[in-house]
Amino acid sequence: MTLSTRTPWQVTRSVWHAMFLREVVARTMADRMAWFWMLVEPIAMIAVMVAIRAFVMGRARHINGADFIPWLLLGLFGFFLFRENMMRSIGAPEANKGLFAYRQVKPIDTVLVRCYLEGLLKTFIFLMFVLAGLLLNVDLTPDYALQALFAWLSLWSLGLGAGLVFSALAGLAPEFGRIVKIATLPLLIISGVIFPLNFLPESLLYYLMLNPIAHGLELFRASFYAEYRVVPGTSLLYLWWWTLGSIALGLMLHLRFEMRLKRQ
Amino acid sequence: MIRIENLSKRYHKQHGSDWVLKDINLEIPANVSVGLIGRNGAGKSTLLRLIGGMDAPDRGHIHRDCRVSWPIGLGGGFQGSMTGRQNVRFVARIHGSGEDMHDTIRRVEEFAEIGRAFDDPVRTYSSGMRARLAFGLSLAFDFDVYLSDEATAVGDRLFKAKAQKAFQDRIGRASIIMVSHQEKILRDLCQAGVLLEGGKATWYDDIADAIAAYHLEPTERQKDKRAAQQQALQQRAATIAARKAAREAAALRRRPREEK
Repeated sequence: MTLSTRTPWQVTRSVWHAMFLREVVARTMADRMAWFWMLVEPIAMIAVMVAIRAFVMGRARHINGADFIPWLLLGLFGFFLFRENMMRSIGAPEANKGLFAYRQVKPIDTVLVRCYLEGLLKTFIFLMFVLAGLLLNVDLTPDYALQALFAWLSLWSLGLGAGLVFSALAGLAPEFGRIVKIATLPLLIISGVIFPLNFLPESLLYYLMLNPIAHGLELFRASFYAEYRVVPGTSLLYLWWWTLGSIALGLMLHLRFEMRLKRQ
Repeated sequence: MIRIENLSKRYHKQHGSDWVLKDINLEIPANVSVGLIGRNGAGKSTLLRLIGGMDAPDRGHIHRDCRVSWPIGLGGGFQGSMTGRQNVRFVARIHGSGEDMHDTIRRVEEFAEIGRAFDDPVRTYSSGMRARLAFGLSLAFDFDVYLSDEATAVGDRLFKAKAQKAFQDRIGRASIIMVSHQEKILRDLCQAGVLLEGGKATWYDDIADAIAAYHLEPTERQKDKRAAQQQALQQRAATIAARKAAREAAALRRRPREEK
């Protein structure tokens, strides 16, 4: 095969193409049932959460303007979109270490491609749920479809930002990866995925609403139900400050520490 | 042509960091094959990685105005969880092959001759099989300069002959920069040599001179070392003798008092 000099953009595109195909195969064919679990895992998760909610706080099940199970489902999907982007990114450079022998491949490519793939898979699975909801007559169709798309994209971008930052930090000091892993469960609770934040006193709410994930989830839910009352202080702008800030920081870290991430 | 200017490299470790390479200036002309010679840990592989763009120098620049391969060798270049075929596909894709990818894969498969293992994960390969695949893969692309880090060291006799022939076929079109401890291969494939020692690089227009210098130095050093050892021994013997004499003198001085 003859080689010609290519522009940096052409090189990057062919790396993304190659990396994407490699990741698709690794993700869906890793074990016999990988694709099966992709669908069953959220179902099982939702079943567990519904059970917990039904037992723990049977009385406070009422949520303004939304049914409980779809409300929970939207929260879980939104949160998992963020979390998977972040967690899978942290493992991405390590999982492709052998391929850094080729100077065309940079650690950031692995993160970007993984997030892209994760977004595609999660979107597909979510659409399957929406379809199932239609058939089962559960209200899972958005009232404001464009807003729903944008909120979904916002949560994905926030996950991408967190993934970029933490994949770089975890490459420099593996402890970061561990801390993030520990933090995901508390994050699930304080982001208002299982319990509505509306019940909390205002003084506490002020601190919880510093967490951008809660903003994203509330906006995502609001786009599905026209009558849904979001937690006071929910702001799309605030969410995007975090998103753009973390993406910028992540890109800077990857630029500065590229060689150290390759070596690890 | 590859030009290396004021290149310095060190690795940060817990116990300080020494310069692996210090202020290296080299100019490797086009179509000249070069052998890198030096003891273990002299920085040969580091220099090769820097030329290949796998790592960045701490100081200085490397100018490449030709197509340079990745360092082919034992170290890596394959993702262990992927099969040989998947690895080849990946590399073909990042080098921008379109329709001719199947052709590339076929050629690698033919060269490597590892049979059905081509569809097994690379982590199950023996080092010889890895070397065959790595070599076949790099030959599937027409680079101007191939970087080889002991790529042929573990291969069997047939493979070595084949690899050598593949390179000899390309003389005039491509050159090689190789790290090897097998002097026969160096003499056969390279014209010029670079001797790395103590972070410094010395260029020799003839590989034979570089190998001769490499052989000469350790023996010289050994001679020096032996002389130093001899000297230390003599010194020690002298101090022991002196001490003994002093002790005897003291004992002599003490004796008369005891008699009193």
